[in-house]
Amino acid sequence: MTRKGLWIINIVILLCLIGCVGMIYSLTSKPTNFMLSCSSELFNHGVAGADSDHYLLVDLVSKDGLAQINYRYYDLEGNSAGTLAMTGKVNKVDTERQMFDISVTTKQEYTGEKGQGTPEHFEYLSYISGLNLNQSGMHSLSVQVLERDETKDYAVVLFQPSNTVCGCRLVH
Amino acid sequence: MQLGHCRFDIGKGDLINQDTGAVWHLPRAELHVLSLLVEYQGKVVAKSLLESGHEDNSHLSSASVARAIFTLRSFLGPQYESLIETVKGQGYMLRPHRARKETANNWLRQWIRPQQAILIIVLVSVLLAGLWWFNQQRNEATPVLPLSVETVTLKSEQQVDVILYSLSNTNNELLTEQAQQLVKSLQQCPVTIWSRVFVSLSHDKQVLNITLRGDHYGQSLIRNLKISDLRQPKQFVTPQWLAQLNICSTSNGRAAPSNQLQGG
Repeated sequence: MTRKGLWIINIVILLCLIGCVGMIYSLTSKPTNFMLSCSSELFNHGVAGADSDHYLLVDLVSKDGLAQINYRYYDLEGNSAGTLAMTGKVNKVDTERQMFDISVTTKQEYTGEKGQGTPEHFEYLSYISGLNLNQSGMHSLSVQVLERDETKDYAVVLFQPSNTVCGCRLVH
Repeated sequence: MQLGHCRFDIGKGDLINQDTGAVWHLPRAELHVLSLLVEYQGKVVAKSLLESGHEDNSHLSSASVARAIFTLRSFLGPQYESLIETVKGQGYMLRPHRARKETANNWLRQWIRPQQAILIIVLVSVLLAGLWWFNQQRNEATPVLPLSVETVTLKSEQQVDVILYSLSNTNNELLTEQAQQLVKSLQQCPVTIWSRVFVSLSHDKQVLNITLRGDHYGQSLIRNLKISDLRQPKQFVTPQWLAQLNICSTSNGRAAPSNQLQGG
């Protein structure tokens, strides 16, 4: 074989090795850790003016590629009205676009104290996530940071595919 | 010299079957014929040359040469007897042949040249890289851009940005309508603590999300409102309800338990 041919083989092997190193790095690199804490006021306009209001606390924690999302509901007196605890993994972190891709694989539901009714939002979220988990074994969601100020520890994020905008505290 | 599964030791005049270990010390005619065939391997050796005899100038008969060819072919066995080819009317030819252990490589080399192998490797690499890129692109979620940004000027000349988010650019009448209710109510405010308002409607149009963002003495304030409406037609926000909500407030509205915890 000519010298030129050997060089070509060497370069091809080198490129393959570089590709393997890149692949190993991308597979083993751990996504950024972050924690968001979002509090919301829930309003449910019922028929004939029968409104029922609640508070919702959402904690989104990403650590070493694992994700945990807790939805905790409270009535106006501060009593627990239900909890949805989801766990999954962070599939991808796009730091350039400020997007986080999460797959929820398990969820646990706890109803409120003393048999009080669960909020409409709890029922809605339980239905949607249950539907996805039962159909495909996972409930995928992405979090896009719309606005962020590290100095003031806040971020406004957009959850997809639900298209939910939410202001959150950045917890360090 | 390797001939099929046999090794020809030209010095000793032996033909050794490497499979069975059988050694055949070639008789004079066979040695002469095979030596000439090896010497002119790949070329036709004329019958007259084969019959010309050995160094001692002794001649071989045509029948002796034919018998030598026959016995040599017999020793080579049915698998390799075709190595000695009869060229009609001319003579015999020993076809070029390499060791059997290289047969597989030979076969491969016949079909794939080094340049072709490199080309195949490059093509496969490009194909794999293409598949990886396609997979990345498919999984890539594109960031959602604001559907609209409207700056509302209050009576005190304070400006509030109302930013709408939607996955689609069409079928956003309900979102736009509800946002307009919010804009009208804000316009009635002499002043408010909020500087930016983010509004989105859930993909199934069941929940309207409003996030109010402001600053108070250098500290960021956030208020999230999630409104469900079971009524038809849906009226997530009305002027009366927004008035109750106190969006013209100069403080952070009603305090949620989390806000108390987080000092927000």
